[in-house]
Amino acid sequence: MIRDPLLRAWGTLIVLSLGSTLISLWHWPPGFSAVAGMLILTFAWLKARVILSYYLGLNAAPFWRRGFGISLGIFCLLLLGLYLLPGLF
Amino acid sequence: MSETSVLDELPGDLMIWVLIVSELLVFGAGLAAFLSVRASDPVGFGAAQDALYRTGAGINTVVLVSSGALAAWALRLRDGAQRGAARLALVVAALLGVVFLAIKGFEYAGKAADGIGWDTHPFFTFYYLLTGFHAAHVVAGVIVLLLVAWKDAPRNIEAGAAFWHMVDLVWVILFPVLYLLR
Repeated sequence: MIRDPLLRAWGTLIVLSLGSTLISLWHWPPGFSAVAGMLILTFAWLKARVILSYYLGLNAAPFWRRGFGISLGIFCLLLLGLYLLPGLF
Repeated sequence: MSETSVLDELPGDLMIWVLIVSELLVFGAGLAAFLSVRASDPVGFGAAQDALYRTGAGINTVVLVSSGALAAWALRLRDGAQRGAARLALVVAALLGVVFLAIKGFEYAGKAADGIGWDTHPFFTFYYLLTGFHAAHVVAGVIVLLLVAWKDAPRNIEAGAAFWHMVDLVWVILFPVLYLLR
């Protein structure tokens, strides 16, 4: 197991980046693109949190880490809503 | 008696955080506008998106987050008084930034060869605007990284690395929205 937090953060970012690319390249059955979209945006939110916490050092500032996490989460939900909008009508 | 503010908890200079939030708001507005316009023509946007090279953009993501890790590493090395290693990490981080730009350049050249321009479809207007603006930040970031490798005071490295992480942060949200959401 990788003990260095920075190395672990880098490894997490690589896995999440490759994971979201593979999800996008996967041929999803009709009607499941919403699931793919949800996964891709969840991965994007997780990647942003890793960068803020470990690269930018917000792990040492829990108030701001939580604030950025919640704000970016709401923003990703907005993007998901806009992405799913055409399927609703 | 000293009063501490919650702002004091933020690592590094307050102004770099003001810059980070400003950039997130600008790119965030661009991405929200992109998905709003897409809602009126999802089929056309999907067809245009299929012209993008997703694997190349995925590789570029790996390049950029690796470069970010090196920039973060550089600050740790400098704090540990390992100046030479810190400078080397910053220069390699900058070189990875150049690799990112080279891959982006190939991507743009491929689009141009296929006759795809910014006015081919509204998708490409957003694509060139958002990725081009981000690439301009990468160019600035490469210069900043080289500058702080030269003037390597810990405070300089912290600010330079934070700018580079902001470029990283924007990309990890921009990349999935433009390239991956089908």
